[in-house]
Amino acid sequence: MRHQTILEYKRYRYLKLAVLLATASILAYALYTTPVGRYGGTPMGYTLGTVGALLILWLMWFGIRKRRYRGSSGNIQGWLSGHVYLGIALIVVATLHTGFQVGWNVHTLAYVLMLLVIFSGFYGLYAYLRVPQLMTENLGEDTLDSIILKIADIDREARRLAVGMPDNINLAIQESLQGTRIGGGVLAQLSGRAGNCPTAGAVTTIQAAVRQFRGDEARANKELYALMLRKQNLVERARIDIHYKAILDFWLYLHVPLSLALLAALTAHVVSVFFYW
Amino acid sequence: MKILLVTQTRNKKGQAARTEQPLVADTLSIGRGTDCKLFLPDPRVALRHAQIRGADDGALYIEAAAGAISVDGSFERASRLRPDQRILIGPYEVIVAPPRQDFDLVLCVELIDPLREGVEEVRRKVQAGLQTTWLSKRLFSWTAVILILLAFLAWPVINATRPETRAASLKASITPDASWDVGPLASAHASFGHDCHKCHQQPFIQVKNQACEDCHKTIGWHFPLRTAAAKAVHAAVFPDIRCASCHRDHKGPNGLVRTDATLCTDCHRDLKARFAKTAVPDISDFTGDHPPFMLSMLQPGRSGDAAIVRVPQNDKVLARENSGLKFPHDKHLDKKGVRSPNGKVTLNCADCHVRDEAGIRFKPVTMKDHCQACHSLEFEPKVTTRQVPHGNVGNALATLNEFYAQAALADTPIDVVVEAGIRRPGERLSEARRQAALTWAADKADRIARDLFEVRVCFLCHQITRVAATTATADGLPVSWKVAPVAITRHWLPKSRFPHNQHDTFECDKCHQVTASRTSADIAIPDLKNCRECHGGNQPARDKARGTCETCHGFHTGSHKAGVPAIIPGGAQPGPIPTRETAAAPDGGAAK
Repeated sequence: MRHQTILEYKRYRYLKLAVLLATASILAYALYTTPVGRYGGTPMGYTLGTVGALLILWLMWFGIRKRRYRGSSGNIQGWLSGHVYLGIALIVVATLHTGFQVGWNVHTLAYVLMLLVIFSGFYGLYAYLRVPQLMTENLGEDTLDSIILKIADIDREARRLAVGMPDNINLAIQESLQGTRIGGGVLAQLSGRAGNCPTAGAVTTIQAAVRQFRGDEARANKELYALMLRKQNLVERARIDIHYKAILDFWLYLHVPLSLALLAALTAHVVSVFFYW
Repeated sequence: MKILLVTQTRNKKGQAARTEQPLVADTLSIGRGTDCKLFLPDPRVALRHAQIRGADDGALYIEAAAGAISVDGSFERASRLRPDQRILIGPYEVIVAPPRQDFDLVLCVELIDPLREGVEEVRRKVQAGLQTTWLSKRLFSWTAVILILLAFLAWPVINATRPETRAASLKASITPDASWDVGPLASAHASFGHDCHKCHQQPFIQVKNQACEDCHKTIGWHFPLRTAAAKAVHAAVFPDIRCASCHRDHKGPNGLVRTDATLCTDCHRDLKARFAKTAVPDISDFTGDHPPFMLSMLQPGRSGDAAIVRVPQNDKVLARENSGLKFPHDKHLDKKGVRSPNGKVTLNCADCHVRDEAGIRFKPVTMKDHCQACHSLEFEPKVTTRQVPHGNVGNALATLNEFYAQAALADTPIDVVVEAGIRRPGERLSEARRQAALTWAADKADRIARDLFEVRVCFLCHQITRVAATTATADGLPVSWKVAPVAITRHWLPKSRFPHNQHDTFECDKCHQVTASRTSADIAIPDLKNCRECHGGNQPARDKARGTCETCHGFHTGSHKAGVPAIIPGGAQPGPIPTRETAAAPDGGAAK
């Protein structure tokens, strides 16, 4: 059976629900008008605003629900499917609630935060649908841990061989062994690259020195070259793996704080409009 | 040279074990090369790291080769060996021990910084997962939530609820509650708009009418509330209505006033459904069921509200002006011109009808400014500088009497004075001659007055009735006259606003057809049909200007009788309000 994505969950049940909600909102907005125009303060505006606020609370509840592994309210795949589709429908509901009026105020702040949350969610959805396949293609049968084990083996072998080699070769190997970092800070993890990787440097050094050896040394050099090439490949794959994981995670560092910021701004928005009614 | 190498190793518990290796060499080579005498098998040591050899002076020296050596903490190219020296070669520590019997040099060697290797060492250099970095969802979330709640909720609420904080913050260029502002205020409110409390006086309570009426003290209601019945109707029509029900602010500079037709037609399209007894006709659209204009006509001899009657414009009988004046527009606007002291002149509308300062309507037409230049009140052909005063019969008669008495008594040298006789200079007038002069003067004044009132001047414009003279009115003359009260309606359609200056693109006679009007009873106010030539109704129409209710009418009009100044000569008794039966001839007839 073909893998069913969250988007296709139960034959697009939540897509249908979202389309229904958005269509109903658009129709209500189009058909209902007041002499003072369409905006958040009309009865229709209050209705759309209430629907939008409840949607936001429900969407945020997903963050709590997904941690409850023994939840009784439907399975997590269904929740995520609804989270995605109703989140998109929220754009329609909330935009109509604004009546297309924006300004430099807390009300538009809440709206913009909501859009940022949803758009970061779009990225997350893309990442969830695309990246796992890329990760599998990158790692194959390996895992990050098995790659580390292989690198450790290569390091041990390389060290043994390098001890007998001239200093420049030994130094290059030494630097590869001690200085090759995988992952690292935010940028290193997100980019999946490392500038001046010592392992790449070792490959170059060994390759450049290949003609100066004879006999055992030449054989050892050749062996070292093969080891470093393998290590370089493993290191790159490990870095790309970390890069993919970072991509899978990074949007949540926007999505979650922005959604809590939205909750705060939404609270301020609701209180303020009734405080100065 | 005989050398003893003492190699010290330690087990996991840190207990030391020593092995001693004597050797003989001229030069002690040190390095990780297998051929080195002091073989230090660590990648951090150079292949040929250093060497120790005896010098010509008999002392032993250590010299760095491909690697660096540290002797007692300082890096040296070469150093003379002394007992207890501590030499670092890569991860190895070499101590020069005191010389022993049979040996020239004793070196204690220990690997003090063993190479870390293996899986753990590789793993130590792997940092995977953003949770291992400084990124923190929790930190970001708390920071954002706290900042937003402080800046956009706590701060404005504290500001709004503490008067002293509010007073202080008003001096700043931006107030804490500026972030709550949902949109730009109406232009008139923008100047104090930074003080939200001006209108939003109580938290969580909708803006009250009192907040509006603090400034808008004189705003009129939809209709006058002078009687209890009117107040009862008002309360029934507008239950619980707030100013803000219609006037929604924060909708931009022009957003405060509703201009939609439904403001009016929601009730007025079927007013009888709400008030069965109402006399106000139903109306839903200017292009459709708008009734004929109601003219507010001024009645001569009345004052105040009683001076105005409302007459449908299409009522041919009642809609005749009764101004008390005779004024044929056709004669005045004759293309061939009219006689004037300066010869024939052709008059235009604007010669008499002068726009008021606002450019909306017209200043009153007055005798002094607009008529008298032609219709002079001169009475003595020989003395053209004197005119009788206008507006009061008694004053006019007194002027005549005084003028001729003065001429007769003072022997004024005008050739009209013949009856008093010629006097010598300085001669006193005898009583008999004085009486004769006064009698002559009274006769003369009476003759001139009759001519003035009944034949030549006053009669031309006014309705004049000869009455018995009284001392109060005639100043001793035998007869006097009564001038019919004048009532010139200044605003025919006071319930609408018609800005003339916005209709300047048209000639006057496009709407006011007066060139053929022979009588002042004609009312030249344009009718519904005339307006509809250009104005559409509630729905936008091709080639038509706007024509919603609000185009002409206001909501807070108060009264159709309000603000209508009338020119009404005082003292006259109010006449009856004309009815269909009595209104046969409202005008005195066309001017002769």
